[in-house]
Amino acid sequence: MEWIHPGILILLGGLLIPHLRWKRVRLTYFLLLPIAGLTILWFTSSGTFGPIPPWPQALLKWRVRLMGYELLIVKIDKLSMIFAFIYVIAAFCMNLYALRVKNNWEHVAAMVYVGSSIGAIFAGDFFTLFFFLEMMSWCPVFLIWFRGTRKSMGAAIRYALWHHFSGACILAGIVMHVHRTGSLEMVHLPWGWGGDYLGYNLMLLGFIINSATTPFHSWLSDSYSEATPSGSIYMTAYTTKTAIYCLIRTFSGVPLLMWMGAIQAVFALFLAVLENDGRRLCSYHIISQIGYMVAGVGIGTEMAINGAISHALCHIIYNALLYMGAGCVLVVVGTAKFNELGGLYKYMPISFWLYMIGGFSISGFPLFNGFISKVMTIEAAERIHHIPVYFLLEGATVGTFLHTGLKLPWNMWLKGMDEPTPSIRAKLKDSPFNTPISMLLGMGILAFLCIFMGVYPTILYERLPYPVEFVPFTLTRVFSHMQLFLFTFLGFWVLRKMVLGHPTYTLDTDWFARIAGHWILWFCEKPLMAFASYMDQKVMEIVHFFVWMSRNPALALRIKREEVTLKMKSLFVNPSHLKERELQLVEKKKNYPGELPKLGLGGSLFLILLALSLYLILYLISLE
Amino acid sequence: MKWLRSYPKRFFWTIYGLGLGISLVLDLWLIYSKKLHYHFQFQYFPEFFALFGFLGCMLLILIAKGMGLFIVKDEDYYEKKLRR
Repeated sequence: MEWIHPGILILLGGLLIPHLRWKRVRLTYFLLLPIAGLTILWFTSSGTFGPIPPWPQALLKWRVRLMGYELLIVKIDKLSMIFAFIYVIAAFCMNLYALRVKNNWEHVAAMVYVGSSIGAIFAGDFFTLFFFLEMMSWCPVFLIWFRGTRKSMGAAIRYALWHHFSGACILAGIVMHVHRTGSLEMVHLPWGWGGDYLGYNLMLLGFIINSATTPFHSWLSDSYSEATPSGSIYMTAYTTKTAIYCLIRTFSGVPLLMWMGAIQAVFALFLAVLENDGRRLCSYHIISQIGYMVAGVGIGTEMAINGAISHALCHIIYNALLYMGAGCVLVVVGTAKFNELGGLYKYMPISFWLYMIGGFSISGFPLFNGFISKVMTIEAAERIHHIPVYFLLEGATVGTFLHTGLKLPWNMWLKGMDEPTPSIRAKLKDSPFNTPISMLLGMGILAFLCIFMGVYPTILYERLPYPVEFVPFTLTRVFSHMQLFLFTFLGFWVLRKMVLGHPTYTLDTDWFARIAGHWILWFCEKPLMAFASYMDQKVMEIVHFFVWMSRNPALALRIKREEVTLKMKSLFVNPSHLKERELQLVEKKKNYPGELPKLGLGGSLFLILLALSLYLILYLISLE
Repeated sequence: MKWLRSYPKRFFWTIYGLGLGISLVLDLWLIYSKKLHYHFQFQYFPEFFALFGFLGCMLLILIAKGMGLFIVKDEDYYEKKLRR
């Protein structure tokens, strides 16, 4: 039986969505696409198309020869399999959440996005990877544009700029790598400082930008919070996790990444304290959680890599859930700003509790899926006895619970306990069921997965590439984490007045890029354009002079000579003496070109001969 | 559907208070009876994680508020700043 590529199936299948006429057929089809992908993956993993050999070997499919290079369009091993599984499962829940969206093209963009990210996961060579990464970088641009606000227009363009810059870096790295080794195959790459490693550093920079690692994280909070409520859910999962996957494949064990990740995990939390927009706050938590993964990749031991992978996968699930919770509020009441919200609990309790499951997961409560993956990365840092990295990662746990578990639900649902503000109240029915049911279903499945994976971690652990001999639920770990959370709550309650929302905007590292961009545009528009128009004017003056002269060169030369003589004389002679000649000159200019001199046959011939001999001389010179 | 819309405030605070007290006592007892196995010595310090959680949370908020003096701007900061 021939294998079908699930990514390409979803990608091409997604293009059909707007052409299906009946709404029910269209929506069923939209839901069936990820299920079809899941079915193929299920058959593949159960060995229908050949058994998957143990890590690090791979089941190869679909080799293509293109222009003298061998492309591995599909190469399946344990690492890509587990990523693809979570991708399609998450895509199903997200589709369920997005069912009520009226714009079919949003569905198309989402499905192309999911399909191409699965394509990138299965890519066995750098060229295929680059192709799918570029395709991926376009879809979110549309998901942001479809929001239709003025801010989203700008955010989409900034997103495209960031990702095309990173794409160019990756391409340059690939070209240098191929030039050096002659092979396109996706392998673990060397890393170091210096000119020899320029290509690899560029590629690393590209992946770092794609994975939103500090200081290149600002595109994420900037764009995700401006996307459509359901479009942003897709964006939380695919771009950054695919970049983490690429980092695991190519740059695991780079110590620089360990430091960047650990610092990023805490740095993003400081910005989250000041944030007023619910979805921007969740964005900073994506960035902070990515810190754990990047740190895990940087530590590079088997346990750390396993931790990074499982954290990436759990993160897809709980973060989609968090974004869905904030998105629910945005859809129902039209805003996600903390200073306008509060007291929604009576009107949307189910989405509150589903959100809280995501909140407990991201914080790393025992029996939720964040715990089983997060403690693995922290344990890996402990085992290499790296105290600063341990402190940063454990500190990030505190901050994560503070924001997603306490600040956001407090500001959105609980603050001002009983009633929201009148303008918000007017948009709500007087019942606890204000959230659309399809949204709750999508959230429900994800919440179930959060708890299921948290209670039964073996289902994840046995599919990880390296063997796991790690038990998450030990007395020490459960007790220390519970105590940590209990006292974080105490700290929050003491300072709860300080985390209320204010209608402000918090600057991020993109300030430098945006201000620099502003000045570059100013330079182009003002000084550069002034210089250009000045040059343009001067050139046109010269052209006009030649056109004028060509009407009657002999007279024109005479006029010019006269002008020069008059000017010279006016330096020495009393100007009143020259009045008459000036008047004559004006008269001459007025009559120009006047009567053209008539040339006889001899004169004409002489001129032609002169021209030809000049041409001959030029020709002879050029022969030398 | 009244049960869905009510929240057990007093129940929550009771459980929370009990949890705080028990965790403080339990920590001392677990360290004394050597049932905990940490990687670093400083983690055996009495109530280390309680202090870490409480002080970490406070520090995070306070430092961020300090940073906020420099980086918190009006909502239309870029619209105003970058207008040509």
